[in-house]
Amino acid sequence: MNAPSGAPSATAGGPATAAPRVIGSDVVVSDLSISYGSYCAVRDVGFEIKAGTTMALVGESGSGKSTIALAASRLLPRGTTIDSGSICVNGRDVVRMQGNELREMRGDTVAYLAQDALAALNPVVRIGRQVSEIYSVRGGDRKAVAEAKAIAALAQVNINDPERVVRMYPHQLSGGMRQRVMIAMALAFEPALLIADEPTTALDVTVQAEILQLIVDLQARNGLTCLWITHDMSVVAEMADSVTVLYGGRMLESSDVYSMFDTPRQPYTRKLLDCFASGRSAKPKEAFSAIPGSPSAHSTTTGCPFASRCDRADDVCVSETPRSVELAPDHWVACHHPLDIETEDDVKTPALAASRGGQS
Amino acid sequence: MARYLTTRVLYGVVTIALVILLTFMIQYMLPGDPARTIAGPRASEEVLAAVRERLHLNDPLALQLWHYYSSVFTGDLGESYTRHRPVLDLILERLPATALLAVTALAVEMILGASLGLWEALRPTRSWALAATNVALLSIPPFALGFLLLLAFGYLVPIFPVDGGTGFSHLVLPALTLGVLGAPYYANVVRDGMKDALASSFTRTAVAKGLSRRYVVSRHVVRNALPPSITMLGMDVAIMFSGVVFVEAIFGWPGIGALQTEAFADVDRPVLTGTVIVAAVLVVLGNLAADVIRAFIDPRAKVGAL
Repeated sequence: MNAPSGAPSATAGGPATAAPRVIGSDVVVSDLSISYGSYCAVRDVGFEIKAGTTMALVGESGSGKSTIALAASRLLPRGTTIDSGSICVNGRDVVRMQGNELREMRGDTVAYLAQDALAALNPVVRIGRQVSEIYSVRGGDRKAVAEAKAIAALAQVNINDPERVVRMYPHQLSGGMRQRVMIAMALAFEPALLIADEPTTALDVTVQAEILQLIVDLQARNGLTCLWITHDMSVVAEMADSVTVLYGGRMLESSDVYSMFDTPRQPYTRKLLDCFASGRSAKPKEAFSAIPGSPSAHSTTTGCPFASRCDRADDVCVSETPRSVELAPDHWVACHHPLDIETEDDVKTPALAASRGGQS
Repeated sequence: MARYLTTRVLYGVVTIALVILLTFMIQYMLPGDPARTIAGPRASEEVLAAVRERLHLNDPLALQLWHYYSSVFTGDLGESYTRHRPVLDLILERLPATALLAVTALAVEMILGASLGLWEALRPTRSWALAATNVALLSIPPFALGFLLLLAFGYLVPIFPVDGGTGFSHLVLPALTLGVLGAPYYANVVRDGMKDALASSFTRTAVAKGLSRRYVVSRHVVRNALPPSITMLGMDVAIMFSGVVFVEAIFGWPGIGALQTEAFADVDRPVLTGTVIVAAVLVVLGNLAADVIRAFIDPRAKVGAL
């Protein structure tokens, strides 16, 4: 049985060291293709996350971002197949795992934080049991030990009065509390990779800010590697170190967050940032910026998936799939007609610096 | 919990009161003269008048209703026209036999239904078994299957006695008739409940924790799949009461169903209404029990969140 090194009680008393702790590992996704039956949801997606950093996976509904999240935690529904590619966490390929290795990977190597915490918690089981079973059933702790660890884990995510909360059912907690419980469960075994599938979209803004802050704090404390699935550019601006933009199941652009916000090279990324910027600066009754058209229902096998909505598209975009090219150091773009930084200097988005509170 | 229970009990009492009102109205509207039925076709006018007086048949309707309610709620269901014995005694005599038959049948249908439903839900693909069972069993009327089993295992291959006794061997065929016919309902409800729970987000969370499939199914999925079956079990008490009328008559099982059939033939109104009222009380109790069990399984039921 794997040793539950992630017991919250064990983390508290460690000696203060100069080097920050990093429990996260490098994550390398390459050539990933996933299909639901004959429908190809994700095609040839690849990116890297450095240990202890957060990558945001950005895209509209149907872009394949949640599918990648589920694939990396091996929670894809029946009927979905990972056709090719690999997802390496801790140097091991999650895609090839089976049986006990797969079961031990879950929670131990990769943890998954779901979108709607109310649906993601079992409605008929007390909170204490849902948290402590990780330590008792999974980790092999005795019941009393597991219960104490559950209370400690809830305290770690800033839940007041955890002794009372463990006796409650999910429907008796607030939305923010439920998501804290989910975070406590996800981090129970100090995973090498935390996958957060839009965990704050169901929450109101103030609670969302609290939850984001909690994860930022936890990450600063133990160097968690995070894959953050979202369509919300303001969350990206606050949380991410790097960004990968998906569209129609393909990767369009991937880079660190600053060069993505300052110099987006893919027209789609540019439009996405325009929506975000106009949302932030819009005065009352001023039109929001929207991208005309809608994503096509089936991911195209050839050509750029965004071609039908792109104002820079020409015949090549429809007939040939753009390859991903490193246009600047660590800035990958899949586009036949990338935006030029020199001539389009006005692209710069002041919103990122603003939302990070001048931290750069 | 106390408040939840109180409201459930109140609903039950109101239901029973309405059923009693209904049985009273039906008696009142039925053709024929109750006094004539009791006293016989050759009774004199004086005797008929005396009988009417004794049954309060000359009182205003509202007063009759009051008499009826007060006697029923004190356990007096009247006297059988033909057997000249208190109806409650007649029913209580027959109740154990019917209860034994109903409980056995419920056990048969739950074991058959739940196993079929679980098996179907845990398979990766749909099987033909449940679909075939549905088509075959849901289309058979209870009396037809009853006669079929009677013919097959009573006469052609005489494994079970058909002489109308109350032993275990006499119980098998009627219990099978009722149980086999009820099984597909449970199979479908269990299958659907399991499928929903298996596809739910909380099941995914449990899998993501690295728990084994066996543990996830037994501790997380089944408990969430149970409540609809429990609700159905409560309602099934009512279905059993309509089922036993045929089945007891076919197999000569001396229960309330057989009593009802006999009373129907004799136009024995107090016995008929008495069995209806007792059945209503048992149905209400069955549903109450189901509600309480459900509240224990699912904490949300108590606050009306479901």
